[in-house]
Amino acid sequence: MKRAWWAVFVGLALLAPAARAGTITLGGGVYGGMSFPVLQDDQGQGSLFGARLPVRLLPLLAVEPFYSTSALGDKTIEASPGFEVTREGSDVNTFGVNVMVPFGTKTLLYPYVGIGSASFQRNGQDESFTSYDVGLGLGFTVMPKFSLDVRGELQAASSGETSRKMFNVTLGASYSIFSTP
Amino acid sequence: MKTLRRAVPLLALAALAAAGCMLTSGQFVATYNLPDPFDVNSIAFAGTSVDLNTISEYKDHKDELKRVEDLALVGNFTNLAFTTAQLEVWIVPDGSLTTLTPQQVKDNGTRLWGPLAVAGNSTEKVDWDRSSALFVGRQALIDEVKGDGHFALYVLANGGFSVRVTQGTLIVVVGAAI
Repeated sequence: MKRAWWAVFVGLALLAPAARAGTITLGGGVYGGMSFPVLQDDQGQGSLFGARLPVRLLPLLAVEPFYSTSALGDKTIEASPGFEVTREGSDVNTFGVNVMVPFGTKTLLYPYVGIGSASFQRNGQDESFTSYDVGLGLGFTVMPKFSLDVRGELQAASSGETSRKMFNVTLGASYSIFSTP
Repeated sequence: MKTLRRAVPLLALAALAAAGCMLTSGQFVATYNLPDPFDVNSIAFAGTSVDLNTISEYKDHKDELKRVEDLALVGNFTNLAFTTAQLEVWIVPDGSLTTLTPQQVKDNGTRLWGPLAVAGNSTEKVDWDRSSALFVGRQALIDEVKGDGHFALYVLANGGFSVRVTQGTLIVVVGAAI
């Protein structure tokens, strides 16, 4: 609990100069795309949807709490000659926060890293992992306050010793809700 | 600003380095086929020896095996008797013990899977999803998979029973470094 208060204190201290400079922008966005399992023999590719709240703190720094849900696809294997069995894909729910460095003005290029928690659920499986992601996004302001983006990221849900990895490709839309004066 | 511009790539690199083998790991499916058909009855009772070291997917990843991610026992389970059978699969750590009695199996082993109700003179196809939900002794099998990979499996049922398992396959998904 003490650590959390320290984190809040440090966060407020970091935000103060940005707020004074009038650079904080808060937005809201939704996105969707595909999730491709990497090196996972027991999952197929599936759809992914999510929402996020991008907060631009400084010209070159933004943070973004997010939530995503994906339904990985079923996987069928031939267990013995002529006998195929199918394993349903996991439902993956992830929440976390990304830190990004946006370059550009109307067109933005932003590498980002993130951390969060991912839960995998299917028949016989209900596990939660620490989730890491690293990715690259490209954003376009199509009208004032409204932008579209395309992103590619590698997500790794780690058990500590191994991880379940997905390559996610998404298209998103964001709306700038307010800016400090 | 320059500091920030450098900070994120450095953080990303640090995260990748810290992740180490976490990133260079994967989930691999190993399948072991039981004798086909595998006939079991209460009079001529016997188990079957399973040696996972005979399958390449397991052998190739055994040294780097970190985690057992998923387990299943699939196949067609036929009840050759007239009355409903409650089938169970038991595991005995010593793979050479395939001639135990039902009581000895219960004394020396662990219930791995089941019960699966199979009506008289009928067949139940058990696929991957259904089988995963039937596992009750995951840890016992995980210990064997992470151990020597050699154990014995027994099919048990209530009362006088006669069961035929066809296309029986043990599926193990291992998490291993590559």
